Amino acid sequence: MDVIDQLHAVKSGKLDRRAFNRSLLALGISTAVVPLAPRRALAAPEDHATYFTWGGFDIPDYFDEYVAKRGELPNFATFGSVEEAFNKLSSGFVADIAHPCLSDVPRWSSTGMFQPIDTTRLSNWADMIPELWDVPYNVKDGKPWLVPFEWGQTSIAYRTDLFDLQGDESWDMLWDARHSGRLGCLGAGGDVWWCAAIKAGVPFDQIHTDEAFDKISAVLREQRPLIRMYTDDTTSLDTALAAGEIVASMAWNSSVVTLSAQGVPVKFARPKEGALTWVCGMMLHAEAPKLDSAYDVLDSLISEKAAIFNMRDYGYGGVNRKAFAQITDDELAVLGLSRNPVEVLQAGHFGIPQTPEWDQRMTQTWEQIKLGF
Amino acid sequence: MTAMALTQRPASVLSRLLHRHEACRGWLLLAPALCLMLVAILFPLGSTLVMSTWSLDGYSVDRTPTLGNYSAMLGQPMFGALIGRSLVVATIATVVTVALCYPMAYFVAFHVHRHKALWLILLTLPFWTSYLLRVFAWKVVLGYEGVLNTALIGLGIVQEPLAALLYSQTAVTLVLAHSWAAFAILPIYVSLEKIDRSYIEAAADLGDGLTRRFWRITFPLSLPGVVAAFFMMFVPTVGDYITPAMVGGPDGMMVGNLIQAMFGPMNNWPAGAALSVVMMLTIGLAGLAFLAVGRLVGR
Repeated sequence: MDVIDQLHAVKSGKLDRRAFNRSLLALGISTAVVPLAPRRALAAPEDHATYFTWGGFDIPDYFDEYVAKRGELPNFATFGSVEEAFNKLSSGFVADIAHPCLSDVPRWSSTGMFQPIDTTRLSNWADMIPELWDVPYNVKDGKPWLVPFEWGQTSIAYRTDLFDLQGDESWDMLWDARHSGRLGCLGAGGDVWWCAAIKAGVPFDQIHTDEAFDKISAVLREQRPLIRMYTDDTTSLDTALAAGEIVASMAWNSSVVTLSAQGVPVKFARPKEGALTWVCGMMLHAEAPKLDSAYDVLDSLISEKAAIFNMRDYGYGGVNRKAFAQITDDELAVLGLSRNPVEVLQAGHFGIPQTPEWDQRMTQTWEQIKLGF
Repeated sequence: MTAMALTQRPASVLSRLLHRHEACRGWLLLAPALCLMLVAILFPLGSTLVMSTWSLDGYSVDRTPTLGNYSAMLGQPMFGALIGRSLVVATIATVVTVALCYPMAYFVAFHVHRHKALWLILLTLPFWTSYLLRVFAWKVVLGYEGVLNTALIGLGIVQEPLAALLYSQTAVTLVLAHSWAAFAILPIYVSLEKIDRSYIEAAADLGDGLTRRFWRITFPLSLPGVVAAFFMMFVPTVGDYITPAMVGGPDGMMVGNLIQAMFGPMNNWPAGAALSVVMMLTIGLAGLAFLAVGRLVGR
């Protein structure tokens, strides 16, 4: 039946029952089919790998090489903490590439969810700084499980105008009762637990003992009433620091670089006990659906350009040797970085891989402490 | 011609069955909804129950049934405290909202005679934005450099921004009360709207004043709506985790946040399932208690 006829029939109230039913049927079928149509139209994203990363790394700036080669950005999925990411992956989420840290590698690789990376497929691999990935637990048959992407520190970002610093910079700053209710903290146990170990004076090689658990929990429970916000969202943290809502917080390099660029008087502390240092990077899923695209994503992420962006805009250490040629010594000093990453990483405390049981116990204890128990 | 063909053909078994038994027709009509219920509600509910009897063994799950998750809950004060806090916050938010919504619904039901639909649409206006955005909007209002603080400083009422506005239990209660208001207004409005006006006239004729008329006629007759509003608001708010996560701060966390953490970073699904089951039972009990109170008031 002609559409106009039918509209006319509706208007004059002469639409018969069958025609009405037929239109209903047509409406039902088209409604059911509509979700299928755009999928065909948006076929392009299905040609690209998915990069599962921390919120904030899902930006085009890292993918110049990838876009030049494949025309579009890869797909992104984001997480707030390594624990969250691991849980999502182990409950069946498949992303071609995930972004954990070096000390997570033994735990993650033992699950069978990942495959070692064939570095011959990465054109930028020759420029990588070997110290960042060449540790025994990261290498299987000469292939790395994790390709490093950035390195840096977890330390204290504080407002130089609002925080009343007495004596040296130290982890005690985040336990300073004078600033109660104006201190912030990261939300992920992967950072907080280790920093609390530094504060509690627990050596990292002892962190698995019951005594260490008691000491670290006690320190974190003591700190909780002083804390205004626990967050993994750097944007919330940066806004709160900029507003003066919080005057000091546990933070990563990027917060300080971002805020300084906006003229906020903020400093990244060098605590006398040492900061927490880490190397993070990409792991390849064992069943990566878009393997070729995934290798191009990896290659783009370790490119010279990506490394320069990491250092200049986020303050994280770059992994590509060529990138350092573009950056002056003064710039590096301001960012707290070095041409020799090991120098910075060993000046702080570097996380040591732990067993799954430890990780589970730590996360559970930490989540409970955050809730106030 | 076709009509003849139809009458001559022997009716199929199904159509005969449907013709004779009204119940069958009813079930057939219900079937799509029932199937959906079965797949989308009963099955997940059942699997939650089953999962709550499992236990965690490293990263894998031990499927031998045990009540360990439940007994572990008894031993830790955290669960009781969080459930208690959730009940308190949700009850306050519900009571406040129902109390605030009742006059609005009353006004629309009794004093608005033209453009009623427009009024109802206006009342549900907050629902036109997503829940998440509404909570974010409250963050902007209550924030340290937020609308409220800026206004108070501008008016010279306070010198320093009030930090206590955001990240507190009060903030959670306030945001919950606002976000779910339309759920409370509509059932109350419906029950007020269908009250037979002649009862009220009769009461007036027999000498009841405005207040007595309200308490003896209008309020008891609108109780079903109030009860419905209570449930529609209490049940979702008590388990809410988005609002406390965004505006609650460390001390405003509710049981929903713990359940989320168990299914998220803590990676302990069996314990999370057990807590969910306990929460469902608690809400059920709270509901029954409220119904009992409602009965008493109704008398």
